[in-house]
Amino acid sequence: MIQLLLLPAALLIALVFGIPLIRYCWLSVHANSVVTGLVAIPNHGANWLRLFNDERFWQDSAQTARFAFVSVSLELLLALAIALLLDQRWRGRGVVRAITLLPWALPTTVMALGWRWIFNTPYGPIEQLAVLFRLPPLNILSNPDITWLATVVGDVWKTTPFVALILLAGLQTIPNDLYEAFYLEGGNPRAAFFKVTLPLLQPYLLLGLLFRLAQAFGVFDLIQVMTGGGPASSTESLALYAYLNAMRFLDFGYSATVMIGSFLLLVFICLFSWLVIYQTRHLRGVFK
Amino acid sequence: MNRRTGWGLALFLVLTSLAVLTSWALSLRPIRINVLMPASFADQTTELVRKFNADHTGKINLRVTRGPLETEAVSDLAISSLLLGKSPFDALLIDVTWLPKYAAAGWLAPLDPWIDQQAIDSLAPGAQLGNSYKDQIYRWPLVADMGLLYWRTDLMKEPPKTPQELLEISQRIQQEGRVPYGYVWQGRQYEGLSCVFLEVLDGFGGKWLTPGTDIVGLNSPASQKAASWLRKLISSGVSPKAVINYAENETLQLFKSGDAALMRNWPYAWGEVQKTNSPIKGKVGVTTMVAAPGHKSTATLGSWGFSILKGSSNPDAAAEVIAFLTSTYAQKQLFLKNSYTPTKAELFNDPELLAKSTILPILAEALQSTEQRPQTPLYAQISDVLQRQLSSILTGKSNVNTAMDRAQRNTEQILLAAGET
Repeated sequence: MIQLLLLPAALLIALVFGIPLIRYCWLSVHANSVVTGLVAIPNHGANWLRLFNDERFWQDSAQTARFAFVSVSLELLLALAIALLLDQRWRGRGVVRAITLLPWALPTTVMALGWRWIFNTPYGPIEQLAVLFRLPPLNILSNPDITWLATVVGDVWKTTPFVALILLAGLQTIPNDLYEAFYLEGGNPRAAFFKVTLPLLQPYLLLGLLFRLAQAFGVFDLIQVMTGGGPASSTESLALYAYLNAMRFLDFGYSATVMIGSFLLLVFICLFSWLVIYQTRHLRGVFK
Repeated sequence: MNRRTGWGLALFLVLTSLAVLTSWALSLRPIRINVLMPASFADQTTELVRKFNADHTGKINLRVTRGPLETEAVSDLAISSLLLGKSPFDALLIDVTWLPKYAAAGWLAPLDPWIDQQAIDSLAPGAQLGNSYKDQIYRWPLVADMGLLYWRTDLMKEPPKTPQELLEISQRIQQEGRVPYGYVWQGRQYEGLSCVFLEVLDGFGGKWLTPGTDIVGLNSPASQKAASWLRKLISSGVSPKAVINYAENETLQLFKSGDAALMRNWPYAWGEVQKTNSPIKGKVGVTTMVAAPGHKSTATLGSWGFSILKGSSNPDAAAEVIAFLTSTYAQKQLFLKNSYTPTKAELFNDPELLAKSTILPILAEALQSTEQRPQTPLYAQISDVLQRQLSSILTGKSNVNTAMDRAQRNTEQILLAAGET
C-alpha cells in the first residue's frame, strides 16, 4: 500500500484547499451580509442568478482574462529570451542571474506604488520623456483604453524573472549530448532551437503558463495600488470585485459566489490551454 | 486526626491561600486596553498615551496598536479581527463612513452610558454629526475633517465663490501663462471622488440620499449639473486630465509645486503647504467650496472618532481612555503639534490656538456647513456605484445623462434589495 504514503499530503491539501472551497460553495447559496446581520440564510441560488445577470462580473471577467493572457504571453516570451541568455556561459553570469531575480523579490505593493509614480502625470519619468520629445501629455493612468496596458507592464516587469527561473531550470535538464549529436548531423543553431530546445522545454513552458495564468487571473494587489480598478472601472479584476463585496460591502454570500464563479472560469481556461498545447504536441508528433 | 490528614489539610491551606493571593495580585494588575488606530494617529498620540499611562499606573494600561497607513486597510484589519469572533481590540478609531456598517453588523457598543447632553453640547456643530446610528451614539469624535478649497493669494485677489467663477478665474490665470493648471482635485475612482462630488452636488442644490428615506437624487437636474461641471473642468483644461487618477497625495504634490491655482483637499494639506521647503509658503489661502448662486457652500464631513467594541471585557476603562484622548487638553496638544482640527467648540475660540493658526476661523466656518455622506450600512456599495459612473463620465466613456441615470438605478436597486431581505 504505497499509496498510503500520499495520505499526509492529501490530508494537508484537503485541509487548506478542500475545506475553504466547500465553505465558499456553501456560502454562495446563502445570503450573508450586513443586511442579514451577518447571519447565513439560504437563498435558493439567488446569488448565482445575480451573478449571471451581473454585467460587472462579466466585464471584470473579460478584463481579467485580457490582462492575464497578454501579460502571461509577454512574460513567457521575455522569460524565454532571458533564460536562453542566462544559460550561456559568460563572465559575470552569476551576478546577472541574481540581479534578474530582484523584481520578483520586491513586494508587489511596493513596486506597484513605484509604477504609479513612474506613470504619474505630469511628474513621472514617462511623462518627462514625452515632454523631451515634445509630445502632448500621455495621461497613461487616466485613459480607460490604455491604463490596463500600464498594469500589464507592471506585472510583466515583476513576474518575468519567476518564469525565467522555471525555464532556466528546464534548459539545464537538456543534456549537451543532444546538441552535439544534432550538430554532428549537420544541424544549425536555429534548427537546434526549434528541434531540440523548444520541444524539450515544453513541459516547463506549460508549467510556467499554468502557474502564471492562475496567478494573473487572481491579480489583486497590483491593481488595487496602481489604479484602484479605475479609470471608469477599466482595470477592475475579479479578485478586486470579490474583495470589495467581502471587506467593503460586508456581503460575504455574494463575494463567495464571485469567488467560486471566477474559480470555475479559471479551471475552464487552464483546461482549455492545456488541451490546446497537448493536442498540438500530438499533432506535431514531437514526443514519440 | 492522623498524620496524613494533617498534611493534607496543610497542603489544602497552602494551596487556597496561594490561590487567594494570586487572584488578589491579578486584581491589582492594571486593566489592559488595546486601541487600534491608523498609523499616523498612533504615531501622533504617543505622548498622550504615555501621559495617560503615567496617570493611571496600576489601574489602566493603554496599548495602541499601530494599524496601516491607508484608511481602508485599517478597516480591513479591524473587520478581519471582528469576523474571527474575539477581537483583540477594546476600541477602534474609525472613519465617519464606517459607523453605520459596523453598528449594523453588531460590533459596536452604544456609548450612551458614558455620554450626557452636556458632553454633546460641548462639541462644535459639525462634529456632532456622524456619531450615531438609529438614534444611538456609537462613536466619540477625536478629529474633525472637512473638504476645503485652497487658493493662491498671489494669483487672485479673491477666491472664486461659484463654479462659474472658478472656471473663469482659472482660465484667465492659465491664459496669462502664470500656472499650467487651474484647479486640482481627487478624481481617482475611490472614496475621495464621492467626497468631491458630494460638495459640488450640494453646491448646486442637490441631495445624494435624503436622510431617513430611500429617495435618491443622482439623476436630478442638480446632480447632472454637478457631474457636467466636473467633466467640464477636465475638457476645458482647467484641471489636468491626470486628475482622473489623482488621490489626495498627487493633488497636493501638484499644488505644492506651484503648478496649480486652486486645490480641493482636507485640512492636513495646510500644514504641508506652510512647511519651510514649500515653494508656495505664505501664498496660500483657504476657503469653503464653491456653490452655485442661491445655494449653500458645502464641505464633506470627514472626521475620525473612537468606538468601543461590544466584545470588550472592560468597556468602562475603554471609555475612560476615550474621554482622555478626546479631552480638551488632548485636542489642544494634537492641534498645536499636528494641526488636527479639534471637535470641541470652545477650542475654536482659544487664544493660544488662534495665535498659532490663521485658518482656525475658516475651519470653524467650514465645520458649520458640513454635509454627511449617506448614513446607511450600504454606504460602501452606493458610493462604489457612484464612483464607477463618475469615473466613466470624467474619462468621456459615458455621457452625463446615461451615467447618472445608471447610478440612480443601481443605487435604488441596492437599497431595494436590502429592504427585501
